[in-house]
Amino acid sequence: MQGEPLLKIENLVKHFNVRLGAFGERGATVHALDDVNFEIIEGETLSLVGESGCGKSTTGFTILNLHQATSGKVIYKGENIATFDDKAMRPLRRDLQIVFQDPYSTLNPRMTIGEAVGEPILFHKLCTKAELPDRINRLLTDVGLPPRFAGRYPHELSGGQRQRVAIARALACEPKFIVCDEAISALDVSIQAQIINLLLDLQEKYGLTYLFIAHDLAVVRHISDRVGVMYLGRLAELATREQLFANPLHPYTQALLSAVPEADPVLEKTRQRQVLQGDVPSPLNPPTGCRFHTRCPIAQEVCAQTIPEWRQIEPGHMVACHMVPGGLHA
Amino acid sequence: MATIPMTPAELDEPKTSLWRDAWYRLVRNKLAIFGLFVIIVLAFAAAFGPYLTPYDFLSQDLDARNAAPSWAHLFGTDDLGRDVFSRVIYGTRTAFVVAIVVTAIAVTIGVALGAMAGFFGGWLDRIIMWLTDVTMSVPNLLLVVVINASLKAPLAAWMEAQYMATLNPFFRETIWVDFILVFGSMALISWPPYARLVRAQVLSIRSRPYITAARALGLTTRIILMRYVVPNAVGPLIVSVSAGLGTAMVLESAFSFLGVGVNPPTPSWGNMISDGLRVWQHYPHLLAAPAAVLGLATVGFSFLGDGLNDALNPRGSK
Ligand SMILES: Nc1ncnc2c1ncn2[C@@H]1O[C@H](COP(=O)(O)OP(=O)(O)O)[C@@H](O)[C@H]1O
Ligand code: SF4
Ligand SMILES: [Mg+2]
Repeated sequence: MQGEPLLKIENLVKHFNVRLGAFGERGATVHALDDVNFEIIEGETLSLVGESGCGKSTTGFTILNLHQATSGKVIYKGENIATFDDKAMRPLRRDLQIVFQDPYSTLNPRMTIGEAVGEPILFHKLCTKAELPDRINRLLTDVGLPPRFAGRYPHELSGGQRQRVAIARALACEPKFIVCDEAISALDVSIQAQIINLLLDLQEKYGLTYLFIAHDLAVVRHISDRVGVMYLGRLAELATREQLFANPLHPYTQALLSAVPEADPVLEKTRQRQVLQGDVPSPLNPPTGCRFHTRCPIAQEVCAQTIPEWRQIEPGHMVACHMVPGGLHA
Repeated sequence: MATIPMTPAELDEPKTSLWRDAWYRLVRNKLAIFGLFVIIVLAFAAAFGPYLTPYDFLSQDLDARNAAPSWAHLFGTDDLGRDVFSRVIYGTRTAFVVAIVVTAIAVTIGVALGAMAGFFGGWLDRIIMWLTDVTMSVPNLLLVVVINASLKAPLAAWMEAQYMATLNPFFRETIWVDFILVFGSMALISWPPYARLVRAQVLSIRSRPYITAARALGLTTRIILMRYVVPNAVGPLIVSVSAGLGTAMVLESAFSFLGVGVNPPTPSWGNMISDGLRVWQHYPHLLAAPAAVLGLATVGFSFLGDGLNDALNPRGSK
């Protein structure tokens, strides 16, 4: 993938301090995101996959400064926005948008669709009040909803329709970048395809950049330019879609891939499902060394002791695993 | 706040339409309107009735004791020849005053503690929730009886002493002792549900994706509070206040009935029912009149509460 990076994520860390025990007497730290490095290229769809709880949403939220980063940088337009306060973030919020997973709770039940979509337009002064109805109509049409929906309340809409409204609301800001945080996971399969197509159309029309978060690889196969695989708060592998699906290097990626059904029935018959042993360890107390070593089929002694380096194996193909041979030095 | 381009007028516009919307849903609901009508009539009676009634609630007509309903005495008279209609109306005032004051105290305490618990969390939350648990686990009646039994005499004695010392007529009115004890003990048992409701509201709204979405849009905290948190939190509270007023009237009657509420001769539906119950076989109107009005009030508040619930929570249809 060629092109300019829109966002650079450098050594990003997000820890949550939580209190445990019946009386909250014990403090603990959730290692939701540790030392993550990647770039998001302008105009691309970068997918992030991994099991539930591995820190995908945290990545998206921290990039958008909806969670304050524990450490590390998010470089946007030459500035580290991870340290910005609410006020400094406000003008940038227009550029950096998000669509959430649950269509039922992503809209304020007390606001009509028109109000929800119009609010950011008025707030960021993107048009005059007189032009507003027209704008709202255009945005609703853009996301495939009839303009008469403007007067309706969210509870009168289906899940898919609400997700379209959420997309329209994000689009209303005229953003450059949208985090799609499992934006289709909660929808029926038939509707998932519609929303994916809508997202792709909008990307083409408005030159959008996506960070597309999903919990399995099947969904992202057709829409991603690049794919990142996360495990327990760290990136395991990141590569172009072709590289990742044809030549997965990390044992965790290989395991995830083996669970993806093949479109070709001949291949599907011979597909070997590799089932991982054990459960995902707790992010409260993540394993030392490689976080995957408690479940990795090829783990060695070094894996429990040393954190594997985030290395480039071939151009654009990054991996964090001791057992992957080779490596390029940039 | 130079960063808010929207004028307050623009901000308020959708909010009023939201309430108007709820109002339209409410007036379409026949039961709710019936409830509202009953409450308005009773409230009118409570406010102005005592000035309009033909008789004073205390004036006795010993020649016309236990009279059956007639044009002169719509609900008849009681064993002292007092006009039951006038007493029921005065009892309405008692019921409303008690319900409104008790609910106001309970809601104030409940909202303050519940919002703090939900907003700050941590040990404050745990202490407040522990308090609600403890309060709710003590049987209401027991608490009220204990409070009355242990405080009434000392409080009355203190009032007496104050009167002797100051000759201020305020301290002669033993009715204040009643009211303070009734208000206090009823508010004490009534606040925990409000606290729990508000806490749950604050907690759940705070973590809703639409709040995060609003932050992601760059909206200011003030707008998020005004347009996202308050409108979503206030509906359930209004509903529960409406239901709570009805409950408070029933409680007041129940306590008066059991002799731990408002004391005679102040008319209260509860002590009228209690008196009526002793003679109902001979003079059924003495029981029927206050009981019917209490029933009407309860039904009115419950219908209105249900109607408000439907009107304010359009999601209820989901
Ligand atoms: N606000 C929070 N407070 C404490 N822990 C959190 C919070 N948000 C997320 N976590 C924890 O961080 C980890 C990563 O969560 P998340 O990013 O939501 O995962 P994913 O989106 O991949 O399912 C999980 O263990 C989750 O429980
Ligand atoms: S570093 Fe070791 S444990 Fe981790 S994935 Fe590679 S082989 Fe497995
Ligand atoms: Mg998530």
